[in-house]
Amino acid sequence: MEIERVKGKVYEERPGFPVQYGPERTDRQPGSPLVPHEVYRDLVTILLLTAMIFFLTAAVMPGLETPRNPAETEAFTVPDWYVLFSFGLLKFASIIPEVQIPGVLGLPPALLSVGFWGFFLTQLPLIFLVILPFIDRGRETRPAKAPIRSAFGIAFLIVWIFTTSMYSVNNLILEKWPVVGSDNVLKGFIIGPPILAGIAAYVGLRRLGYSSMYWYRIIPLGAAFLIALGHAIWILWAIQGHAQWSWIAVFLAFLVGLTAVPAVAVTFLPERTALRFTTATGLFLIFLGFAVWFTVGFYTPSVLGQVEIVLIPNMHTIFALPIFSVITAYVALRRPYSTYEYLLNECYQCGKCHTVCPVTKVEDDAVGGLNLVYNSFKKEHDGVPLWTCLACDACSAVCPLDIQYSDYILEERAKIMGQSAVDGGETER
Amino acid sequence: MGLRDLLRRLNLTVFGWVKDRFPTAPYADLTRKVGETIQRQVPRSHSEKYELKTIWYWYPLYCLGGISFIAFIILTITGIVLGFYYVPDGTVTFTSELEPTNPAYESMVKIMNEVPLGFIMRGVHHWGAHVMIAAVFLHMCRVYFTGAYKKPRELNWIIGVILLFLTLGFGYTGYLLPANDLSQAAATIGLNMARSLPYIGDLQALIVFGGTDIAVANYVLRMYWYHVFILPFTVIGLMLFHMALVWIQGVAEPH
Repeated sequence: MEIERVKGKVYEERPGFPVQYGPERTDRQPGSPLVPHEVYRDLVTILLLTAMIFFLTAAVMPGLETPRNPAETEAFTVPDWYVLFSFGLLKFASIIPEVQIPGVLGLPPALLSVGFWGFFLTQLPLIFLVILPFIDRGRETRPAKAPIRSAFGIAFLIVWIFTTSMYSVNNLILEKWPVVGSDNVLKGFIIGPPILAGIAAYVGLRRLGYSSMYWYRIIPLGAAFLIALGHAIWILWAIQGHAQWSWIAVFLAFLVGLTAVPAVAVTFLPERTALRFTTATGLFLIFLGFAVWFTVGFYTPSVLGQVEIVLIPNMHTIFALPIFSVITAYVALRRPYSTYEYLLNECYQCGKCHTVCPVTKVEDDAVGGLNLVYNSFKKEHDGVPLWTCLACDACSAVCPLDIQYSDYILEERAKIMGQSAVDGGETER
Repeated sequence: MGLRDLLRRLNLTVFGWVKDRFPTAPYADLTRKVGETIQRQVPRSHSEKYELKTIWYWYPLYCLGGISFIAFIILTITGIVLGFYYVPDGTVTFTSELEPTNPAYESMVKIMNEVPLGFIMRGVHHWGAHVMIAAVFLHMCRVYFTGAYKKPRELNWIIGVILLFLTLGFGYTGYLLPANDLSQAAATIGLNMARSLPYIGDLQALIVFGGTDIAVANYVLRMYWYHVFILPFTVIGLMLFHMALVWIQGVAEPH
């Protein structure tokens, strides 16, 4: 208790805090007092939320349309946003063929209609969520440590629900943007973007968790490049003799180039250079592509219109894959400095690293040696542990949780060396 | 025998009779002791205890369950007020100009135009519902991404999923109540979906919507009963259980 009191971690008997009566607490790390701290904090949340709802009410008043008329049903209504996914799936279910069940066991024959399949598809998320704890039985909880689960969540719970909701207004979209072409392109949104988002998230989360990356970068980016290239060649072959063939080829070259740059970079260049190369070339291509697009659209809108009619219905490969490639390359190549510390959170202080650390033996002092790992992790050091570490990796070799401690040390040093010196002289800590 | 004795005797007979049966003194004493002597504290989180590196902007995501509960309380209060004036009858009648209308819609017009603070009550109920559903969905996402459904919290996760779908049910039954165009369109979709199940479809439609034809069925009355009686009692019960389990098992933090 005394140590905590000295460190300023004990709040009892301080002004404004309740006095402890009765038997002395055995809990050495008390929480924050319910009254007034937690009560005030909760009150702020409650009042803010109430204020927000009142503000919304004042700003956007809910309307009351015309009374219902059973005689005429409206051509199209959009339900509230939270049931749009169900509505979208009901529409999407039209791709599933209707099945006629023969009568068995005395039951009459029945029809599994489109409505039934829509109902069935709506139940899928519910079933998935209910059985989830029994499918995923691993112990990892951090998103970066369980990349498959997190990527599936991003793909299925967020992107898929969003695109399904979007599909529920498919006729509005086709009406507003007829260039999209057909409903099948919009159906593709239910399947394509979730898969791409899932793969990008998986690769990015592996990077965030400091897992090995080499093939996990090359395979998705290479595949994206090959698919985009193949589709572009197929389009150009299919529209031979088109009046705007050369313009279409130019835009396809931009788009395929955007998938090619990251694929080439991650295959042939070292990490740091690959990131710079991808960012620079990718941004350059995007700006140049948009510049050409708008220039063409400004001077000859009819040409751009013809180009759009060819390109936009194929958006799931030739537009989605460049976006996917650039984002995936960025999240797969960036250096997630901050997560090093969260990886160190796994440490349960078994002390094996301290035992094997060679520097500890040399720098022995009165209090049982210089504990490099513990001190630098807690940031309770004067810089000596950080700069005396040999980065010999003996601690990582014995670590039961496989924490790459020397990587952390090197990152910390790089971070400090990267800081600008405030006083113009020595680097500030 | 003076007045004083009489009062004492009266006290003994009347209050003594009550106190024999409902002894309040020990409970009052206990409450006072709890209030005065125990330092009420909210326990430190795992990350605070072990001084772990945390990302501060993840913290608000741990409030989402509480936010949905607060929104539920706001909805209860405003819902009770609206319930005083709302008429759950969607039967189509005709005005003198032969325009279709119905008592539910008429009562909505009355709430919004004549009842004091009626408009703002309806508005708060409307936006509170949106906030609650959004908060419940985001809460589910937070629990999913931090892996908080793992052992030993599987039961609480399943209760949470049921609560999520009951909340969607609250929203759906709620926006069917004004008996306007949107209500009818949504009810038509729902009715057709319910009817599409083989064998039990029509029975299900009859139970949920009160008929198999949306023009004839007084689905508004059914929806009202689900919205103000069946769903609230189910949801309050499950919510209390949900929160009791969180209290018992502790908040699951990623570490």
